[in-house]
Amino acid sequence: MIELDQITKQYPGQAMPAVDKLFLSIPKGEICVLVGPSGCGKSTILRMINRMIEPTSGIVKINGDDVTRTDPDQLRMGIGYVIQQIGLLPHRTIAENIAVVPRLYKWPKGKINKRVDELIVMMGLDLEKTRGKYPAQLSGGQMQRVGVARAMAVDPPIMLMDEPFGAVDPIARTHLQDELLRLQKEIKKTIVFVTHDINEAIKMGDRIAIFDAGKLVQFGTPEEILTNPINEFVEDFIGRDRVVKKLNLYLAEDAMQPIGCVVKGNELHTVAQKMKDAHVRVAFLLNEEGKACGQITVSDTEEFGRDIEGLRKRVLRTEKAFVQTTTPFPDALSLLLEYDTDYLGILKGEELCGMLSFKGIRKHVYRKEGE
Amino acid sequence: MTLSDFTSFLMKNSKTIMEYSENHFTLVLLAVGISLAIWVPVGLLLTKSDKWAARVLALANTIFCIPSLSMFAILVTIPMFGLGRKSALLALVLYAMMPLIRSVYDGVKNVDRNVIEAARGMGMGTRRILIEILVPLGMPIIFAGFRITVVMTTGIAAIATYIGERNLGRFIQEGLIRSNTPMMVTGALIISAIAIGLDTILGLVEKRIVPKGLRISR
Repeated sequence: MIELDQITKQYPGQAMPAVDKLFLSIPKGEICVLVGPSGCGKSTILRMINRMIEPTSGIVKINGDDVTRTDPDQLRMGIGYVIQQIGLLPHRTIAENIAVVPRLYKWPKGKINKRVDELIVMMGLDLEKTRGKYPAQLSGGQMQRVGVARAMAVDPPIMLMDEPFGAVDPIARTHLQDELLRLQKEIKKTIVFVTHDINEAIKMGDRIAIFDAGKLVQFGTPEEILTNPINEFVEDFIGRDRVVKKLNLYLAEDAMQPIGCVVKGNELHTVAQKMKDAHVRVAFLLNEEGKACGQITVSDTEEFGRDIEGLRKRVLRTEKAFVQTTTPFPDALSLLLEYDTDYLGILKGEELCGMLSFKGIRKHVYRKEGE
Repeated sequence: MTLSDFTSFLMKNSKTIMEYSENHFTLVLLAVGISLAIWVPVGLLLTKSDKWAARVLALANTIFCIPSLSMFAILVTIPMFGLGRKSALLALVLYAMMPLIRSVYDGVKNVDRNVIEAARGMGMGTRRILIEILVPLGMPIIFAGFRITVVMTTGIAAIATYIGERNLGRFIQEGLIRSNTPMMVTGALIISAIAIGLDTILGLVEKRIVPKGLRISR
């Protein structure tokens, strides 16, 4: 756990302190995102944790120990550090770059090599091709992967990341974000992550701390902040699409409803009656292998009546109107709009396990909003 | 002058040529050695303070502006130095100040700040950063300055003949006085050959000493 107690940083010759009497407690094993407009002091705060900057007053504690009791170099060796500009050593190979901190710890060569290989693979880079390359031979996204690998080399419990994905292109950024989240599920590190992008904060953060002019404005989970922005500044910072952003926090399974009715291909003529009996407005069609391959709504049956072949064609138009249990709401909404329908089947792997309705999404978000 | 005049001069004076060349060479080597030992640490030190860097670089520039003949003349008048090697060495070391300090300072200052920041953030100490990052990354610029220093020192060393150094410059000086063309040409050619030779060797050394990762592009 990282605790900042009454931290103030006053730069000489500046009227306002860069960080003003900050108290912040960052729980172990979580990603805590520091977010705010540029110049709000978020990077300064991050850099005071590993003593790259010393606070004017106040105490930084890691697991209860005042960081100023440890030699700064020793302290930093035990904390992963990733910066936007990456800062790989251009005259060292990728393997040597990753090995910097293990070398500072004087690990034996064999152990270093093993760890380097492990990290290159973990970061999704080609081991044989990447090991001996120099940083100038990699793309921006690959370089930042190496930057993250380097920070994780000695498996430090704490990682500080200063806009780590700010300089890579949007596609690579999304990849890197997803991978870090996936990794975090296994490695459970305490990560302090600085960004100016509220969307990245919502996506990455277990907790978000919003700063303005050196002061902490709001600290809470993404859900808390999106649901109850504490003041106008936070509201503006989040943006007018606050509730739409909230959709990112939920997955299809959160609003899953049971399926009321399924039919086989040869039962299409009875589907209207079946739905009526089950009191549902949608049924799903299963193929011979029992896989879901489309949906039939009450209005479809009314439109086509006895024209079974027409109905079959209509059903097959919604062949791809399915999501996985882990699909986030925005993707599900997009499909609902794309197929101009009110319902989506939810699959777990290949198996139909429930459904998601437009109304269900609305109710789920509304309920969360009203809480 | 015919070719035979020239070759016969070489044959008759081979012992003197060897002696002068040796003297020339050792003077250059000594001057460059002392210069490196003094100016490289000074250059590194100056990267710590912009204020001092500006002052010292201005001084080095001023010294560099003094014509070499004037410099030798001034040094000779100082009792401690007088005619001979001491004055010659001092002058050469003073001339080397500008290119060496400047290149070391520029080389180190040009290292990407983000690389230093990342290294510091990983827990590398000041000494380690200097040896493992600043010097190797500054090497292309530092080495360029070093090559210029060596070539320049070889040239200025010839002028030290006027203050009593018995080196290849003497052939040119005396050749001019006596209108002895083969003598002049011998001096000029050998000095040039030494300068070009040293620079070529250093060029080869540079290829080995500049880190591979810096020469690689995508």
